[in-house]
Amino acid sequence: MINLFLHAALLTTTPILLAAIGGFVNRMGGLVNLGLESMMLAGALVGVEVSAATGSALLATFAAAAVGAIVALLMSLVVTRLRANEIIVGLGFTVAVAGLVRFILKSAYGASGTYNPPGVVMLPRLDVPPLESVPVLGALSGLDPLTWLAWALVPAVAFAIARTRWGLRLRATGAAEATVRSVGLQPLAIRDGSTVFAGALSGLAGAHLSIGIVGLFNEGITGGRGFIALAAFYFGRTSAARTAFGALLFGVFDAAQIRLQGRGVPSEIVQTLPYVIVIVVLTGLGFADRRAMRGRFF
Amino acid sequence: MTSGLSSPQLGRAAAAAAPFALALAIGALVLAATGHEPATVYRLMLEEAFGGERRIAATLTEATPLLLTGLAAAIAFRAGVFNVGAEGCFYLGGIVAAIAGYALPSWPGVALIPLALLSASLIGGAWLVAPGLLRAKLGVDEVVTTLMLNFIAIDLTSWLVDGPLLARGSANSATPQIVAAAELPRLLPPTTLNLGFVISLALVIAYGGWSRFSAGGFESRLVGLNPRFSRAVGIELPRVVLRAMIASGVVGGLAGGIHTLGLVHRFVAGFSPGYGFTGIAIALLARNSAVGVAVAAVLFGALSSAGANIQLFSDVPIEIVEILQGAVMIFAVAQLGFGRARLRAAT
Repeated sequence: MINLFLHAALLTTTPILLAAIGGFVNRMGGLVNLGLESMMLAGALVGVEVSAATGSALLATFAAAAVGAIVALLMSLVVTRLRANEIIVGLGFTVAVAGLVRFILKSAYGASGTYNPPGVVMLPRLDVPPLESVPVLGALSGLDPLTWLAWALVPAVAFAIARTRWGLRLRATGAAEATVRSVGLQPLAIRDGSTVFAGALSGLAGAHLSIGIVGLFNEGITGGRGFIALAAFYFGRTSAARTAFGALLFGVFDAAQIRLQGRGVPSEIVQTLPYVIVIVVLTGLGFADRRAMRGRFF
Repeated sequence: MTSGLSSPQLGRAAAAAAPFALALAIGALVLAATGHEPATVYRLMLEEAFGGERRIAATLTEATPLLLTGLAAAIAFRAGVFNVGAEGCFYLGGIVAAIAGYALPSWPGVALIPLALLSASLIGGAWLVAPGLLRAKLGVDEVVTTLMLNFIAIDLTSWLVDGPLLARGSANSATPQIVAAAELPRLLPPTTLNLGFVISLALVIAYGGWSRFSAGGFESRLVGLNPRFSRAVGIELPRVVLRAMIASGVVGGLAGGIHTLGLVHRFVAGFSPGYGFTGIAIALLARNSAVGVAVAAVLFGALSSAGANIQLFSDVPIEIVEILQGAVMIFAVAQLGFGRARLRAAT
C-alpha cells in the first residue's frame, strides 16, 4: 500500500520537480519564468510525435528537451534583448503556445484535444527487484530514467550553484548585473543560458507526462504543473533542496488528490493547496523581512 | 529610441499598433505554414467582425467582458500595482451573480440586478484585499500572490459547481439558470448584445474622467511613475496601493457578474477563456488610457467573434485567435524602438 502510494507520488513529482529546478536556476540568473507551462506543453507534444515516428523513447526525450529549449530561447530573447516585462511575456507564451499546439493538433493531425498516434514507445521503467518487497524503498523500483535524472539534478545543481565558476556567474547575473558586465562577462547571455536550461528541463517534464505516464498527448496534459513548479521554486527561494522539497510536497498532494477522488474529499480543494501554501510562505517571509523592509517601501 | 516621426501622437499610435501588426505577421506565418492563405483569412476575419450590424453587435458582445478586465488591469498598473488577479475575480463575481440570480426568484429585476452586480463587485474587491495588504504593508510580490489566487478561485468555483451548487439533473458542472428578471436586457434582439456593454463602456469613460481630472487619479499616476517622489511629497503609498488593488478587484468581479447576467445566464466550469489575462494585454496596449482600453477591447472582441465564425465557415481552427492574443501580449511589452519604456519592470 505505502509503496504504491509513494511510487505514484514520486511519478507525479517528476514533472513538477524538473520544471521547478529549471525555474529555480532561471530565477537565480535573474529571470522569473512564467512560461514553464508552455515549454512543458511543447515538450509533451513533440515527445509523443517523435516517439511514434522513430520508435525511440530516447530520441523523443531529446527532441522534447530541444523544443522546450527553443521556446525558452525565444522567450528569453524577448525579455533580455527587447527588455520586455518577464511576467507578461511568460503569460503571453503560455497563451500563444497553448493556442499554437491546439492549432497544430487540428490543422496537421485533424485531432481535437487528444492526439494518440500509433506506435508510441514509452519511457522504460527501471526495475530494482531486490527492493521490491522492502517497505518504502520498494517505491524506488519501476521508476523511469527521467525521475532518477530529476533527483540527481537536485544535488548537482545545488553544488554547481554554490561551488563552481558557472554557479558564481549565474548568481552574480541575478544579483548584480552591472558587476558581471564590468568584469567583461555578458550577463544577458548568461541569463539566456539559464532560461534555455529551464526550457530543456520543462520539455523533459512534458515528455515525462506524455511518454512516461499516459502514452498520448492531450491539450490539458500539463494541467497547470508549470505554475505549480513556479510555486515550488518560490517556496524554495535560494535553495535547490528546498525547491525539491516543495516539488515533492506538491507531487504528494497531486497523488493524494487522485487517490481521494470519489471518497468525499473534493479534489478541487486539494488542488488549491500548493497555491495556498505559497501565499502563506510568502506572507511568513514578508513578516520576517518586515524589519529590513521598514523605511524602504518599494 | 525615437521613431523619427515629428508628431509625438503619431509615434504613440505607431507604438500601440506595432504589437498588433507583429502579431498578425506571426499569425500569417502560422497560417501559411499550415497551408492557409493569410490575406484571405484576415479579410474573412475582418468581414466576420465588422461586416454588418449583427456582426458588429457580436463583436461588441465579445468586447464587453474585455472592457472591464482591461479596465481592472489599467486601474492597478497605473498605480504601479502589478495585479494579474482579475481572472480569479471574474470567476468569483460570475458565480456570486449566478447564485443571486437563481436563489431569489421572487425579487423584481430592478432590485435583483443591482444586488447581483453589487455582490459580484464586493467579492472581487474582497478577494484582493489580502494581496493588497501584503504588498502595501509587507512588500510581498503581488504578481505571485494574485496569480496563485487565480488558480485558487478557479478551483474553488469549479468545486462549488461540481458539488454544492450543481443544478439538479444537470450533467455539466453548472449552476441552475438565473431567473428571467435577473437577465440584463438585450439591446439589439436577436443579437446577444446587452446592457452590460453600456455599463462597461460607461465605467471606462468614468475611469477616463477620474484619471485625468481628479486628485485621486493624479495621485495614483504619480505613485505608479515615481513612488519615492510620491512619498516625499506626502502621499501615503500603502493607502494608494491598497485602493488600486481593491478597485481593480471590484471591477474584475463586476465583469464576471455582468458576464453571468448578460450573456451566460448561469455559472459554468471554465467560465472564462482567459478574459482576465487578455485584459492585461489590453491595459498594456492602451498604456492604461481609457480610450486605449476601449479601442483595444473592441479589437480583441473582434478577434474572438471573428475566430468563432471562421472556424464555422472555413477550416481555420479558432486557436489562431489565441496565437494572435498571446503574440500581442508578448509584443505589447517588448521595447520595439517606438517611444519610451512602457512599463517598468514589475519585480
